[in-house]
Amino acid sequence: MSEIKRNWREDLKIFRERMGGVTQERKDWQKEQRDYSKAISGVLEKGARTVPEIAEASGLPSDKILWHLMAMKKYGKIAEAGRSGDYFRYELKGGQS
Amino acid sequence: MAEIKQEYDGLVLGAGIAGMQAALDLAGQGFDVLLVERAPSIGGVMVGLNKVFPTLDCSSCICTPRMAEVAHHERITLLTYTELKHLERTARGFSVTLVKKPRYVVEEDCIGCAKCELACNVVVPHEFDYGLGAHAAVYIPHGNAIPQVAVLDPQYCMFDGACARACPTDCIDFTQQPEEINVQAGAVILATGLKLVPLDVKKEYGGGKYVNVMNPLAMERLQSPNGPYGHVMRPSDGKIPRSIAYVQCAGSRDKSIGVPYCSRICCMYALKQGIMIRQHLPETEVTIYHMDIRAFGKGYEQFYRRAVGEGIRVVKAKVARITEEPNKDLKLRVELIDEGGRVAEIRHDLVVLSQGVIPGWKPDGAAPVRIDEDGFFLIPEMAARPANSSHEGVFVAGVATGPKDIPDAIVEAGAAAMEAAMYLGRSQARAGGVQ
Ligand SMILES: Cc1cc2nc3c(=O)[nH]c(=O)nc-3n(C[C@H](O)[C@H](O)[C@H](O)COP(=O)(O)OP(=O)(O)OC[C@H]3O[C@@H](n4cnc5c(N)ncnc54)[C@H](O)[C@@H]3O)c2cc1C
Repeated sequence: MSEIKRNWREDLKIFRERMGGVTQERKDWQKEQRDYSKAISGVLEKGARTVPEIAEASGLPSDKILWHLMAMKKYGKIAEAGRSGDYFRYELKGGQS
Repeated sequence: MAEIKQEYDGLVLGAGIAGMQAALDLAGQGFDVLLVERAPSIGGVMVGLNKVFPTLDCSSCICTPRMAEVAHHERITLLTYTELKHLERTARGFSVTLVKKPRYVVEEDCIGCAKCELACNVVVPHEFDYGLGAHAAVYIPHGNAIPQVAVLDPQYCMFDGACARACPTDCIDFTQQPEEINVQAGAVILATGLKLVPLDVKKEYGGGKYVNVMNPLAMERLQSPNGPYGHVMRPSDGKIPRSIAYVQCAGSRDKSIGVPYCSRICCMYALKQGIMIRQHLPETEVTIYHMDIRAFGKGYEQFYRRAVGEGIRVVKAKVARITEEPNKDLKLRVELIDEGGRVAEIRHDLVVLSQGVIPGWKPDGAAPVRIDEDGFFLIPEMAARPANSSHEGVFVAGVATGPKDIPDAIVEAGAAAMEAAMYLGRSQARAGGVQ
């Protein structure tokens, strides 16, 4: 283990400047993520749904819904909840509905 | 980072299956080897595959023990996330300049706990899953990665310090910069592997434009138990596909895009993926549109017959164009050769383009080796010395010399290691004055 004690708060300030700060591009990316997470959670609060159902209820494109849904599943916010025809259904982890 | 000596007997560039095998075989003969990999983990393409043809063994189950062996071998030093800047001959061998990219994580302090990843508030497309899955802006490259060390992607960082706050070993280091490393090596093995032609290289197939037209490596990830969805689903809406098409030679045997040669492995991986799809989804139809099926290796013809026996439809046809329907299904306009050239329009849920294989790396002056007409490393004496490049002391292995399967890549790696060992023996004898 290295012995150096890092002052990461100071280092982070310099790093942030070096990388061009919180640019509009970064902000937009994070905003999209928040908007999709919120929309997906909002629909799933009413019960388990498929991707096309979430897309229809939220008015957002289904390919992006799938991508964000899978990210939420990976990090433990969403779980699979059986199938409906050719689609899997998803629910909020803990089964809130 | 591992401690780097100033001199090594051998430098191996690229830690896919060929580079790892070459490093193990050279180190096994008592030589000190520096193994350099540009990705954050070793393993190359193989560690991301689901199963391997023709045995259908689990690919990562074969690859990961070898990755671990490389990482623990006392004569192999591993440098990941590192690129070659320059390689040139000197009186004592080769002078090598490498550039280690910043991970923003101190490798020897990271315990791979992923607490940084769980604390991070941004998700980004995962390269290992060809963009189908996501990872946080700071992440462990994948479950089988070696080393299990996080890497931070500064392009997406929001600079909120969540990762550093969560790290139990204080290993996030925002001060890291690219670091130049200079070493001497007695011999070099280039094992820089493959890339696929860009998905959109044949505009008429709609790759890169239609979301359900997919890369075959992405399909490997979809089929893998640790893949991005956990199931085979199509990217447009998560539908379990009921009809999947493979378009063969989509970027091979095609002079118009500069890839006139056969990529050799595509027929076999299409058959393999078809078998795996039908094992998991027996009601799903798989159709392979091809010019001719090339089953070139041991047991491959039997594998082809098995696939047909398991219901894969193998159709001799030319696919002229792919268009997208409003529901994101795909319509293929095909000329059915075995039906006298009849033209038909056939609908599928998902299409995989069997894209051509091209070299993973071009030296562009960074290494003194010649490139063949096809873009792969030139082997001047193919019949007599298939592991020798155009430059004395530089050996080549794996797909870096041309498209091939895993067994052939491993055999070549062994040959390259043996040639390098003999070359090192001769050089050392000369330096010691022995005739
Ligand atoms: C879709 C698909 C499915 C396949 N399925 C099978 C199968 O079932 N069975 C089979 O036998 N074969 C299969 N293959 C073929 C198999 O993947 C290859 O034979 C094998 O991966 C070749 O290994 P390699 O080490 O030569 O190259 P790679 O796996 O490409 O490894 C090369 C490594 O070098 C690194 N690198 C490149 N340039 C540099 C540089 N400048 N500096 C440092 N590092 C560098 C890369 O990051 C990579 O890690 C498949 C291929 C594809 C595309």
